[in-house]
Amino acid sequence: MKKLYAAMMAFLLCIMVAGCGSTPATNAISETETEDGRITIGFSQLGAESDWRSMNTESMKTTFSTARGYNLIIEDGQQKQANQITAIRNFIQQGVDYIVLAPVTENGWETVLSEAQDAGIPVIIVDRMVAVEDDSLFSCWVGSDFELEGKKAAEWLHQYSILNELAPETLHIVNIQGTLGASAQLGRTKALEDAAAEFGWDLLEEAPGDFTQAKGEEVMAELLDKYSQLNVVYCENDNEALGAIEAIEDAGRVVGSDIANGEIMVLSFDGVNRSAVQYAVEGKISCITECNPLHGPRVEAIIEALEAGQTPEKFEYVDEAIYSCFDQITELTIQNQSYPVTILTPDMPEL
Amino acid sequence: MKGLKNKFKNMSDTSLLLTITIVVFFVMYIGAMIFLGQGFLKPQTFFNILNANAALIILSCGMSLVMITGGIDISVGGVTALVSMCCAVYLDQHSGNVPMSILIALGIGLCFGLVQGFLVAYLEIQPFIVSLAGMFFARGMTTIVNTKPFNVENEAFVALKNTRITIPGMGSYNKLGDYVNAYVEVGVVIALLVVIIFFCLLKWTKLGRSFYAVGGNQQSALMLGIDVRKTKFIAYVLCSLLAGIGGYVYFMHVGSGSASHATGAEMNAIASSIIGGTMLTGGVGNIIGTFFGVLSLSTIQNIVSSAGFDQAWWTGITVAAMLCIFLVVQSVVLARKKVSK
Amino acid sequence: MATKAKGKFAFSNIFRQQIFIPLAALVILVVFNLIADPSFFKITLGTNNAGYPILSGSLITILDYGSELAILAIGMTIVTAATGGQDISVGAAIAIAGSVVLRVLCGNGSSDELQAPIIVAFLVSVVVAMLFGAFNGILVAYFKIQPMVATLILYTAGRSIAAWINNNELPIVNDPTFKYFGGLIPGIPIPTPFFIAAICVLIIFLVLRFTTLGLFTQAVGINESSSKLNGLNPTLVKFLSFVILGVCVAVAALIKVSRLSTINYSVIAKDIEMDAILAVALGGNALGGGRFNMAASILGAYVIQFLTTTLYKFQVQSDALPAYKAVVVIILVVLSAPKTREYLNALGKKISGMFRKEEVQA
Repeated sequence: MKKLYAAMMAFLLCIMVAGCGSTPATNAISETETEDGRITIGFSQLGAESDWRSMNTESMKTTFSTARGYNLIIEDGQQKQANQITAIRNFIQQGVDYIVLAPVTENGWETVLSEAQDAGIPVIIVDRMVAVEDDSLFSCWVGSDFELEGKKAAEWLHQYSILNELAPETLHIVNIQGTLGASAQLGRTKALEDAAAEFGWDLLEEAPGDFTQAKGEEVMAELLDKYSQLNVVYCENDNEALGAIEAIEDAGRVVGSDIANGEIMVLSFDGVNRSAVQYAVEGKISCITECNPLHGPRVEAIIEALEAGQTPEKFEYVDEAIYSCFDQITELTIQNQSYPVTILTPDMPEL
Repeated sequence: MKGLKNKFKNMSDTSLLLTITIVVFFVMYIGAMIFLGQGFLKPQTFFNILNANAALIILSCGMSLVMITGGIDISVGGVTALVSMCCAVYLDQHSGNVPMSILIALGIGLCFGLVQGFLVAYLEIQPFIVSLAGMFFARGMTTIVNTKPFNVENEAFVALKNTRITIPGMGSYNKLGDYVNAYVEVGVVIALLVVIIFFCLLKWTKLGRSFYAVGGNQQSALMLGIDVRKTKFIAYVLCSLLAGIGGYVYFMHVGSGSASHATGAEMNAIASSIIGGTMLTGGVGNIIGTFFGVLSLSTIQNIVSSAGFDQAWWTGITVAAMLCIFLVVQSVVLARKKVSK
Repeated sequence: MATKAKGKFAFSNIFRQQIFIPLAALVILVVFNLIADPSFFKITLGTNNAGYPILSGSLITILDYGSELAILAIGMTIVTAATGGQDISVGAAIAIAGSVVLRVLCGNGSSDELQAPIIVAFLVSVVVAMLFGAFNGILVAYFKIQPMVATLILYTAGRSIAAWINNNELPIVNDPTFKYFGGLIPGIPIPTPFFIAAICVLIIFLVLRFTTLGLFTQAVGINESSSKLNGLNPTLVKFLSFVILGVCVAVAALIKVSRLSTINYSVIAKDIEMDAILAVALGGNALGGGRFNMAASILGAYVIQFLTTTLYKFQVQSDALPAYKAVVVIILVVLSAPKTREYLNALGKKISGMFRKEEVQA
């Protein structure tokens, strides 16, 4: 047993020695890195819960490939902030050049971001936002205006109800929310709640579907049981919409835009899932608001700007469209800004 | 050589398994230092492992204790989540104070311990089923207390959360050439204290020895005049109490309440205990081994991600492979020892 | 007088019967629902949007969603009886088997046409699930590792392996026939999973009736060394029990992926191992191995689903569900614990003793 303790002491000594010796060692590493000419990027992705997320990861991978002179380290946070914090600390210890973070929730990033700042590593936030008081903790943010997306969908529904002479109180809406606390969920939920209050819609219930098809189906089945009158489902991403449609059809109801004749209308977001887009062409999903997952090129532009010593824009919004097969609404106006609606037709080429 | 062989034969099961664990950990860590270099050469990487796993160390200590008595407690992960959620709600929405929140954490742990201990020890219900129900209850209660995950902004708590104990002489220079101190969080100190206390408890107290006796052979423990029921009861109470402490340490690390906190922590704790040489059949185990079990488990995860396996599934597969190797080695070594006796 | 005595005898016998526990739980749930909301038992015949008849109602939901659990409970009961331990990797193994089905059906990436017949995909997944069962079996039977610990390995790795099989993609099967297994066969208004479960139950009862499987597993579970002395091979029996569970896992996986037409590696069949073990425990089977009652386990599985559906009816949030389940489980387990019965018996005797004294005095 005594030998074991001796070994333990020896190990601690090892660390000590490494600690004292780390100064030259790290310098040597950073030198080799610059000689190599590669830029090392640590990307903390929050998970792989939806098609949107997979596309997002894929976009990063293709942009920052070895062939293009980058060295990308991806860590999957599996939907847990603790994992992501650990990943960022690892990146800091590995001495990466840039950290790209797709945060799982908005809160609680101050500590680890200030650690990155102490280590002199710029952090680029993608997709969801972080809520920090000090903006200088991250270099910039690339992503979507989720509330605007929600407003677009709500405005579309509003126009649809006017065109079809549906009284606002006859719209019985349920909202299948995303992962609670995610920016996409917060923005899209807020837009719907605001619109419901403004136009006088009957918002029956909001239940979280975690952005997954399985949960979407489960939640929808429950909601159908609970509310026989519901006729609009607002799904906060495509996968939930697919699950919801499954549940609606299993319950013997029909999905479609014809609310007056007992059909249930499905509204969705993202527009990256092929089956969902196909459903939108068929009219099973009435309207999809796009959420652009191709963040890779944008992040690359930022990194190039930072490398050149410039200061990029703090907030960059990606352009996003809105799709529907209902051809009477061609344009939405939100806060005096007009957004065109892409009308889907069956003979349209692949999106 | 012969002397070594004799020594190997004369070693007790506990210290034999402990030796294997410690050797494997050293080989792994030093290997990572040599082959991966970079981060592993910085002491802070090691401290980060401690920071991230302080709660797991505490949970694993409790788990080892119960496993030594021949039982199991899979409710620890759920209790951790419940503790963080309750404390978060108390601190944030009821503007509570920190000492009281610690008492809440301990209280929750104690309640689970008392009920589960009573059911297992005195009503003789399978520990697996009891703690399974405990886990379900804790997880469900967490969402009943609050559905949405949120961060605690209570000032006193945030100050506690951000308290860092700097370790002199272990820092390193960052990219800009500034010196950054190495540090550990408060939770690590608590975890180390727990390890030391429980190591002493198991090694040098009558109660500690009776845990081994109960797990080794209940009949003979009874004949030795040990109150088997009481011993088991205490083991479960201690385990859940540690889950309460571990829950608070976890809470201090993440600073938020969420129903999805510490998912799978019970399995990690069991895995750490097994890697650390505790056997589920009872009677064999060591807290120091458990400590190294946690370190080995997290080091291998760290190595996998540093070595550039970008997919999340690699972590799961390597951890499982490691567990598999350990189990097989343990079973083979112990079987051979029995034969050579 | 004689009939009365006989009736009394039969009555007390029911209490002793193992199947009493799940049966009693079921009766309590039924009565509870009858009082709270009789519409729970309403079954309506409607048509779905494809124009086929469909039965809907809570009872149908229970039969539908309880099926996977019942199938798993069959395998879990045998493993429990033979090894005295439980397999906690069934959820992860379902993810693997489901992933294999999709991989074979979709090839690389989602395409609209099936790359292979469904039966081939299913058979491949059965073989794979049996192999993983065999892996668990080898660890338990040959290396003598406790079942829970041995299956912890697959529990940790399973979902990762499942993601790896499909390259972490989520393929979608668009072929409508694939939906039959987890949904409805056109023209038949009862969900298919129920029939699949019924077939599995039938097979296992025939196997138990006409082979010595039941006898052997119980013999090994009760006393391994004495069964060895009687010429049985406990290692083989334990090994086989895990392989049988593997088959059950593959069947459950087919239903699971068919329900969704796709897979979610981290969510599919989550915590189902806990429910399966619960079903075995609720069936009154000793988790320490030995004697088992297959019918009680299967009934136990449906009772759990009954409970889940009841709680959903009362608008309990799906995340809060485990808390209520836990309370019910604890009550059931405490009531059925031999120790509690001892206490209760002693108490009963005391009370009846008091009555008798009164009689004497009178």
